[in-house]
Amino acid sequence: MKEFKSINDVLDFAIKGEQEAVDFYNQLAENSKTEDMRHVFTSFAQEEMEHKTRLTKIKAEGLYQFEKKEIVDLKIGDYTVSVKPSPEMSYQDALILAMKKEKAAFRLYYELAKRANNDEMKDVFLSLAQEESKHKLRFEIEYDEYVLREN
Amino acid sequence: MRIKDVKYLRFKTYLNAYCPHCNQSFNVDTINEKTLDFKAVYKKKKIDLRLSPYLDVFELEASVPVEKGDILDDLLCPYCSKSIVKKDFSCKECGTKAAEVIISADEKLIPFYLCLKYGCEWHGLSKADEKKIKLKIPRQDMPEQDQTLRIHNHQEVPYGYTSELALLEAGRCIQCKNPKCIDGCPVNIDIPGFISLVVEEKFDEAVKKIKERNILPAICGRVCPQENQCEEACVLGIKEKPVAIGRLERFVADFERKMELVKVPIINKNTGKKIAVVGSGPAGLTVAADMRQLGYSVTIFEALHETGGVLTYGIPEFRLPKSIVQFEINYLKEMGCRIELNHIIGATITVDELLENFNAVFIGVGAGLPTFMNIEGENLGNVFSSNEYLTRMNLMKAYKFPEYDTPMPKGENVTVIGGGNVAMDSARTAIRTGSDKVTIVYRRSRNELPAREEEVHHAEEEGIKFRLLTNPVRYLGTDDNRVKGMECIKMELGEPDNSGRRRPIPIEGSNFILDCDLVVIAVGTGPNPTIFQSTPDIKRNKWGYIEVNPDTNETSKEFVYAGGDIVTGSATVIQAMGAGRIASNAMHEKLSKIKK
Repeated sequence: MKEFKSINDVLDFAIKGEQEAVDFYNQLAENSKTEDMRHVFTSFAQEEMEHKTRLTKIKAEGLYQFEKKEIVDLKIGDYTVSVKPSPEMSYQDALILAMKKEKAAFRLYYELAKRANNDEMKDVFLSLAQEESKHKLRFEIEYDEYVLREN
Repeated sequence: MRIKDVKYLRFKTYLNAYCPHCNQSFNVDTINEKTLDFKAVYKKKKIDLRLSPYLDVFELEASVPVEKGDILDDLLCPYCSKSIVKKDFSCKECGTKAAEVIISADEKLIPFYLCLKYGCEWHGLSKADEKKIKLKIPRQDMPEQDQTLRIHNHQEVPYGYTSELALLEAGRCIQCKNPKCIDGCPVNIDIPGFISLVVEEKFDEAVKKIKERNILPAICGRVCPQENQCEEACVLGIKEKPVAIGRLERFVADFERKMELVKVPIINKNTGKKIAVVGSGPAGLTVAADMRQLGYSVTIFEALHETGGVLTYGIPEFRLPKSIVQFEINYLKEMGCRIELNHIIGATITVDELLENFNAVFIGVGAGLPTFMNIEGENLGNVFSSNEYLTRMNLMKAYKFPEYDTPMPKGENVTVIGGGNVAMDSARTAIRTGSDKVTIVYRRSRNELPAREEEVHHAEEEGIKFRLLTNPVRYLGTDDNRVKGMECIKMELGEPDNSGRRRPIPIEGSNFILDCDLVVIAVGTGPNPTIFQSTPDIKRNKWGYIEVNPDTNETSKEFVYAGGDIVTGSATVIQAMGAGRIASNAMHEKLSKIKK
C-alpha cells in the first residue's frame, strides 16, 4: 500500500486520481459512437479537470481548510447495477458509471482517512472523500431528475 | 327549448324569488316542473300568466292568446296581487317597463327584472349579480361506471355529460373579459367562445370552434391534464372549482361524432408537394391534417400494425376507447391522407430515402423506449416495463386472450413502480385482470404524485393500494428466475428539486421485503434511437431527444421537422399537437416559397 508522508503526498495522489479520471472520460469520448455522447464524456472530463485544478491550487497555496459538512446520499449509485464502458453507452449508463466511480473514490479516501497517521492527514482524506461525495451527488441528482422522472 | 332558456336552466334548484311587497317567496322548481303562476293585466283585463320555470321570459301559457311582442299592462304578485312592476324602470333591450322580483343568491337578495314585453329575452341581472349566482352553481360531476363493477371490465369509466349536465356546467362560465384559460391551453383554444356556444345549445358550432385549434377534442377532453392547463388558469377557480372545460370539450366532440355531424373540411388545391409524417400519434396526426388541408399530399408512416401511437398502445381502453382514436384516424383518411403501417423509419426506410421522395419530413415518433431503474433483478421473469405491459394489454388485446393471440400477463399480487399516469394505467389494468392485490410503490408522498388527480382518485376507488415514500432497491427471484418480491427502502423528503417536488432521500437501515409475483416498472420513458442510427446528422441532446428550432420545430437537418415527446420527453397530448401545429405552419411557409 502506498505510504503518505506529508499532506503534499496526499494531494499529489488525489491530483493523479483526478487526472486518471480526465483520461478515462476523454478515452470514452474518443470511443463514443455518437456526437451527443462524445459531448457528454468531454464535459465529464472537463469537470474532473476542474477538480484537479482546484487541488493543484490548494497544493500551491498550501491552504487546506477542512469544512465538515454532511452531503446527502441518494444511494442511487449503491443500488444501480454496474455498467461496462462501451462505445454504445447511453447517457443513463454514463451517469451510472460516473456515480459509481465517484463512490469508489469516496470509499478509497474514507478508508485512507481511517488509516491516516495523524489528525491533519485524516482531515485531508475526509475532505477529499467529502468532495467525491459531492461529485457523486451531482450525478445522482441528474439521474434522479431525468431517469426517474415519474417516480 | 329556446336558446335563451338554457342560460338560466342551471339556476333551477337554487332560485327563490320574493315579492317585494309581501315578501312571499315563489319557489321555482324546474325538476318537478313547478311553474310560477302570476296574475297579469293584459289589455286592461286580468289574466293568468304562467311563467317559464327558467325565470327567463314569459314563455308559457297565458289564459288568453298573447302574441310574442305584445306588451302586458302590469304584472302582479301571485300572493298579494300587488303590482310588481318597478316604477321608472325600463327594459334595456326594448325600453318597455319591467317587473321586479327579488331572488336569493349567494345569501343575498338580488333584484331580478322581467320585461313586460311578452317573449322579450331581457332578464335584467347585472353582470356582477349574474356572476354571484354563477358562483353558487357546483361543478358538475360526470356520471361514471360503479367502481365495484368496472374492475371487471375494460369499458370506459366516465359516461360523459348528458346535454343537461353540459348546459349546467357551461352556465358556470362567467365569460371573463380577459380570459386566462386561453393562455392556459397549449394550443390557445377559444374556450369562452366554445362554452358560450354550448350555453346556446349550439353544440355542433362549439366543436367547430374547438377544432379551429385542436383536431382531436374527443381525445384531449379525455386525457389532457386540464387541471394543470386551462382549468388551472380559470378565474372561477380562484374562489370556487374551475369550469370543467375538459368535460365540456369531450361532450361536444362526442355529440358531433354520435350525431354524425363530422364533415371533411374543404381541402385546398393540390400543391403538388409531398409530406412524410413519421409516427401516427397526436403530433403526427396534427401535422398530417394541417398539411393535407393546405393541399399537400400526405403519407403517414406507422411502425406498428395499428395507428394512433401512444393513444393506441399506451392509454387503456377504459380511459380512451380505441374506437374514438380510430374514428379520428378515419377522418384523416377521408381527408385523403395515406397511411403506411408496419414501416419502421430508420430500419425499413431511412429519413434520407424519405427526403428523396418527399418535400419535407415530420418526425413525431414519441418517446417509446422504456426506462429501467438498472437495479438488481430487473431481468427476472414477470418484471415488465410499463411499455411492454400496456402494449400487450392495449394494442395486442391480451385481456381478450385466447380470442387474441397474446397471452395476458397476470399476477395475484402485482406491484407497479412509479406515480405517473402510466403507473395508474398499469395498476388499473392489472386490477381488471382479476389480480387479488395491486400496489403502487412510489418514492415520494401523495402530494408529489405526477399522475392526474382524477386518475389517482379512480385508482384508489378501484382498490389499488399505495405504498408511498418507498423505493425498490432490488428484485428477488424464485429458483426458476421469476420475481417473488422486492427489497424496498423507505424514503423521507428533503429539499425541493428543479421540478419543485421535494427530493426523496433514503432512510438508512429502513430496508424491508415486499412480496409480489408481477412487477410493472413505470418510472418514465425515453427516445427510441432506431430512427437516428441511419440518420446521425439529426442533432440530439444528451438524453437523445431531438434538438429543434423552437420557432419552426425544424431539426438540424433541413426539411426535417420534429415535435411531441421525441423533442420534449413525455408530455401531454395537447402539447404534442401544439408542437405539430408549429411544425406544419413553418413547413408550409418554407415550402410555399419553393417551386416544385
